[in-house]
Amino acid sequence: MVQLVGSLRKELADSLSSCRVLVVGAGGIGCELLKNLVLTGFKNIEVIDLDTIDVSNLNRQFLFQKKHVGKSKAQVAKESALQFCPTANITAYHDSIMNPDYNVEFFRNFMLVMNALDNRAARNHVNRMCLAADIPLIESGTAGYLGQVTVIKKGLTECYECQPKPSQKTFPGCTIRNTPSEPIHCIVWAKYLFNQLFGEEDADQEVSPDTADPEAAWNPEEAAARATASEKDGDIKRVSTKEWARSTGYDSIKLFNKLFKDDIMYLLTMDKLWKKRKAPLPLDWQQLENHARPQEDSPGSGLKDQQVLGIWGYCKLFQHSVETLRSQLEQKGDGAELVWDKDDPPAMDFVTAAANLRMHIFSMNMKSRFDIKSMAGNIIPAIATTNAVIAGLIVLEGLKILSGELESCRSIFLNKCPNLRKKLLVPCVLDPPSANCYVCASKPEVTVKLNVHKSMVVFLQDKILKERFGMVAPDVQIEDGKGTILISSEEGETEANNSKFLSDFGIRNGSRLQADDFLQDYTLLINVLHTEDLEKDVEFEVVGDAPDKAPPPPSNQEETNSITNGNKDSAQPSTSSKGQQRTESLSWLLLLGSVPTVKYLAVTSLNLTVNRTPREQEHLSEDKHEPAHAEITRV
Amino acid sequence: MIDMIEKEEPIISEEEAAQYDRQIRLWGLDAQKRLRGSRVLLVGLGGLGAEVAKNLILAGVKGLTLLDHEQVTEESCRAQFLVPVTARGQNRAQASLERAQYLNPMVEVRAYPDRPEDKPDDFFLQFDAVCLTGCSRDLMVRVDQLCSQRNIKVFCGDVYGYYGYMFSDLGKEHHYVEEKPKTVKPAQGSSDGPEAKKAKIDPNETTMVKKTASFCSLKEALEVDWTSEKAKASLKRTPVDYFLLHVLLKFRTDKGRDPDPQSFAEDSQLLRQIRDDVLESLAVSGDLLSDDFVSYCFSEMSPVCAVVGGVLGQEVVKALSQRDAPHRNFFFFDGRKGNGVVDYFGPN
Repeated sequence: MVQLVGSLRKELADSLSSCRVLVVGAGGIGCELLKNLVLTGFKNIEVIDLDTIDVSNLNRQFLFQKKHVGKSKAQVAKESALQFCPTANITAYHDSIMNPDYNVEFFRNFMLVMNALDNRAARNHVNRMCLAADIPLIESGTAGYLGQVTVIKKGLTECYECQPKPSQKTFPGCTIRNTPSEPIHCIVWAKYLFNQLFGEEDADQEVSPDTADPEAAWNPEEAAARATASEKDGDIKRVSTKEWARSTGYDSIKLFNKLFKDDIMYLLTMDKLWKKRKAPLPLDWQQLENHARPQEDSPGSGLKDQQVLGIWGYCKLFQHSVETLRSQLEQKGDGAELVWDKDDPPAMDFVTAAANLRMHIFSMNMKSRFDIKSMAGNIIPAIATTNAVIAGLIVLEGLKILSGELESCRSIFLNKCPNLRKKLLVPCVLDPPSANCYVCASKPEVTVKLNVHKSMVVFLQDKILKERFGMVAPDVQIEDGKGTILISSEEGETEANNSKFLSDFGIRNGSRLQADDFLQDYTLLINVLHTEDLEKDVEFEVVGDAPDKAPPPPSNQEETNSITNGNKDSAQPSTSSKGQQRTESLSWLLLLGSVPTVKYLAVTSLNLTVNRTPREQEHLSEDKHEPAHAEITRV
Repeated sequence: MIDMIEKEEPIISEEEAAQYDRQIRLWGLDAQKRLRGSRVLLVGLGGLGAEVAKNLILAGVKGLTLLDHEQVTEESCRAQFLVPVTARGQNRAQASLERAQYLNPMVEVRAYPDRPEDKPDDFFLQFDAVCLTGCSRDLMVRVDQLCSQRNIKVFCGDVYGYYGYMFSDLGKEHHYVEEKPKTVKPAQGSSDGPEAKKAKIDPNETTMVKKTASFCSLKEALEVDWTSEKAKASLKRTPVDYFLLHVLLKFRTDKGRDPDPQSFAEDSQLLRQIRDDVLESLAVSGDLLSDDFVSYCFSEMSPVCAVVGGVLGQEVVKALSQRDAPHRNFFFFDGRKGNGVVDYFGPN
């Protein structure tokens, strides 16, 4: 005789009250998930989130109120949940899940881990920890009206990293520095400018005209001459932008004239660039001031931020924000650096002004602060209902797992509109692990193409092992018969190696490196393929990766997801500095939760693959694998 | 009533702009203003009702009125998150009021302890949208008839264990807009280089397209005639959830309550019996609904309430803001399969 406790069979209800589960993230999905878990009867829940509450969270993270702004999300989520279920046993951690304290042993405490994250680095990490601990993981994500849930179980299903996810799009340096053609190029330039003037200077974020631009040369000899001149000049000319600015006392008008007049005039001398493009028009402060009209107040029906000012308005905004940032810098003292934050008004004002001035110069329609904030800040619109649906689905999958019914688990996609088969929620059978997955295969291996003479050890560590391969604390030895240690995760041990080149260690074509992340219990064998022949601005390639390309245009089916929020069928690039990579486009299977205002977490991008035209077999009552047909990356 | 953006306050305050930022970026300022001018009635504060309340309050409607005659029981504390554990014996709507209000102080939340059956017609007519959960079939039909002819948007929804549905009647002529990308014409002439010498058109520009959708009444939706040849032919593609709904609504009408885990055995038997009766009276095959469903439709499951409440909440938002195509006219969710379908039932 079936015995029910509420809706559930007694055995299931009993196991819910005894098992321990971990929720990673207490934001949009996390709040909804915590509520569902508690109401469903889960008694032992641990929740971790490194972030604090922001007012923009309150439209959906319903466990938080205005009075909680600034407090720890995990902590307040726990307190609010206890309000409606005082008997629940909830532990909150205001911490990063990537902290080594949360090792494999920690993960083994749980019967189930549920992600409620918004960034790829953490997802990769939790994926590995759950593989290492062999604990089922429920992954999920949302963006706008769309969402998805999936289940990851070692040996049974694909892991999060089985399917390569295209990395975030970046723009070539010369597009940013010389020939922007879209607003986003100008916005990226403005963010680079912020860092060059006020923040951490980065050689990859140059803003001055690029004389070595291959497009600028009329013939190959000229191109070569330009390249060498640029390199040589570097030594002389390398008064950093910041030093130069400081030498002028951050005089906003001098800055304005250099950036928006002198540098543009310099670009104009590179005449080949403008043969087939509309040439930029330099700005003159004095002229603009003379022609300035009083700003008409637009009827107050829109948001203030949604107004687009006139060119003089942005000149003034530039001036004002430079002055404010200058004094912020002064207040912080010698050697101070500011970190760009979309919620810091002068920082956002600066980017708005600088980007718009540049857009105007390059004959693009200027944009409102509201729109620029979306692009510069990589804001993903978010609402309560999408998160509520996804969190509900997460718990339902969890119940299947706890009932021992793994074979009935599914990936479920939430569409904006029903598909051809009238489905708004589309369940798909889970795929088995990929045989050559570089994470969950029995002996993961990859081949990386790079130039051993030009790649530094620190580059291998940061850009390749950490950023591309998701390691948190890599250890690397060379398979040279001697087990030479190249990189040690212990601080300071191999620091001396950082600025040496790989070739200095005898690494050459065909060399093999063994990279370990002991926390993730992950070993990756890297085959080195030496090449002198990489594309401009590309420093390494993983063999087997699909090349970065623009997504194919949407198919013509009306049924398909119309991601028409005014934004974004084009790939959105990283507009962030290395310390704060917050590009969030959407992932295959995994969309994002709310964006945290975290200052230090490295966030990498995901790419959305939307099920557009499912090839469903008629005789099945349920969808089998729905292959992704179109990839859409959006911010 | 809702065709006019609230005239009193065209300006969005800074507080609202900050709080609603992430949703304004999704559905736009006009939609937010329409929401801000809308008053909604929500009947039933069970698990599903609480979810809908949360979603609408967070969305920023002008006012949400909670109506529920039921008392808080031990079960209610497990079912929903607005009622404090100390509120046993109190009226469910009134007990939910405080927490509901905390969700968003900018929304006017009210609570009444009355039976919806006892409310006069006028009561329902003061709202822009009405959302009925936990209501009898007769009540839903009556309220739908009363409201939809006055351009008041009507929604119904329930959760029974792992199963749930929502229904909407947005009237004979529901106007809305959809945002579509502007098609960019290819550059003219081959003499232009890779980039034409003219001002760049922003490739992300969109345009608003006006549309209209027509809805039938709940009565018509539930009284589809399955004896016609056409209907019989379409049965194959028809979600069985539709018939399950009939069974559960009949149970509710006959017993005055939903299937109760405390009386699992008797209720299961009754459900099977009602299933037989309903399918027979609709002149469809008894095989459509196997016995399987019976043990999975007890009590409101929290995650199912979350899913149905999310979809239902978003439909209300869409209808009030008159933006984006509404689902027409049923949404059925099967929590065991993870299937969520939208389908139309009613005259063609």
